[in-house]
Amino acid sequence: MAVIEISNLSFAYDKDIILENINLTVEPPDFLAIIGPNGGGKSTLLKLILGQLTPKSGTIKVFGDSPKNQLSNIGYVPQNTNVNTDFPIKVIEVVLMGHIGEKRPLFGYGKDEIACAKGALAQVGMEDYANVRIGDLSGGQRQRVMIARALCAHPKVLILDEPTSSIDTKGQKEIYSLLKKLNEQITVIVVSHDISVILEYANKAAYVNRHLAFHDISDKSEVFHTHGEEDHFCEVELLQLLGAESCNTCAQETNAVWREKK
Amino acid sequence: MIEALQFTFVQHALIAGILVSIAAGIIGSLIVVNRMVFLAGGIAHASYGGIGMALYFGFPIFLGASLFSVLSALLVASLTLHKRHRIDTFIGLIWAVGMAIGIVFTDLTPGYNVDLMSYLFGSILAVGTQDLYFMGGLLVLIVAAVSLWYRQILAVSYDSKYAALRGVNVRFFYTLILILSALTVVIAIKVVGLILVIAMLTIPVYIAEKLSNSLWQMMLISGIVATLFTLLGLWLSYTYNLTSGASIILVSAAGLGLFLIARRGR
Repeated sequence: MAVIEISNLSFAYDKDIILENINLTVEPPDFLAIIGPNGGGKSTLLKLILGQLTPKSGTIKVFGDSPKNQLSNIGYVPQNTNVNTDFPIKVIEVVLMGHIGEKRPLFGYGKDEIACAKGALAQVGMEDYANVRIGDLSGGQRQRVMIARALCAHPKVLILDEPTSSIDTKGQKEIYSLLKKLNEQITVIVVSHDISVILEYANKAAYVNRHLAFHDISDKSEVFHTHGEEDHFCEVELLQLLGAESCNTCAQETNAVWREKK
Repeated sequence: MIEALQFTFVQHALIAGILVSIAAGIIGSLIVVNRMVFLAGGIAHASYGGIGMALYFGFPIFLGASLFSVLSALLVASLTLHKRHRIDTFIGLIWAVGMAIGIVFTDLTPGYNVDLMSYLFGSILAVGTQDLYFMGGLLVLIVAAVSLWYRQILAVSYDSKYAALRGVNVRFFYTLILILSALTVVIAIKVVGLILVIAMLTIPVYIAEKLSNSLWQMMLISGIVATLFTLLGLWLSYTYNLTSGASIILVSAAGLGLFLIARRGR
């Protein structure tokens, strides 16, 4: 069954059309990057997938059901984890929040929950930090904890909103490698403006700017190619490439080369 | 000091001080981590409207203040959920209008010139048995609510958006925190008065925040610290014949100063 199936979806705030005639199918185990300019409708699309907004027309199905009924199957990692760093809370307690909403003992935490939370921390390589205060971690470490919190509820799909917006370059690479590893088991969807990095890891890309352009980028050399040895893409060019429905100029290209951005 | 303990009013004052301090430690922690300090201040001052109306209509002060402050809390809760960006304006409004209502009703109360000061700055030496029951009952309610819903309250306070996505009724718990704050403010009026209540809700919490790794630890430490400050403040107040509320707050402030110096010295 498709993880997410969106057909002919449109959404508008009052008369401002944000998304128009969107079609998107996410199959397991995709690693989908949702990219596009600010204000292009990325966050709105995410809110629709999470059932926080309802489409004006068209349908959106998560595991063949309405998004609101499937929230327990979605692991969500919100944007910006640098808020509330003064809050007195230990890493393990943040992860245990992933269990909330399930039937639980009257007081305290169950042994199975704690074991599960520790397992989730181990999955993201943070098991040694269980009893550290969340505010004492770096941005990248905190983001890993938020991923562990989402994993704690055993989701079938992991959705991350700008996961690397407040993290240094080394931390970003680490987060994406982690997501790539997790992607062996579950579907991953990342909303990001940080496209040069994300495109190395994703196998599908959806460029959202009112309309949605979908690209299979599992074979990078098919989709991206520079024109000559010295060329490399800058982010603007990549965005333009992906925004176009197809790349006309490249039909005649013979020596297509995909190069990682330095 | 020891011989003073045989007086009923001193015993009452001590029990009231301890009950209110523990409640203030728990609720103050929630107010601080939810960044609701200004909001709690607004509710505290608005509750004076209830005191004035209770005097005028002749029903118990505690009841009037409780009803009025809970209503202001509900009003603030609904405004926060619907008009979040203007919330500071509305809090300011509720703050002033509540007090104005209280003053006007006090003026209208015939032949009874009430001692405004005792509500503004506390009158812990006039705590009756009924007051103690009310305080004890509220403390039991607070402890029960916070233990039963600890993880929901923690989730809503730490990351309300995520909590909502996981199916927690954020609106309910936010309103619950506000109502418990409103009732705590009412019992604290007897001890420190409505003007000084904010200091009692925040100074011990600020110290506890630095010493704790989790919310329940913060509540526990705040409760203990608040109790120490209150007892010391009461002793000073009794010994030197000072207003109890002001003594407690100054002891708290001095305690905070010493704490910060000691931490810097480390």
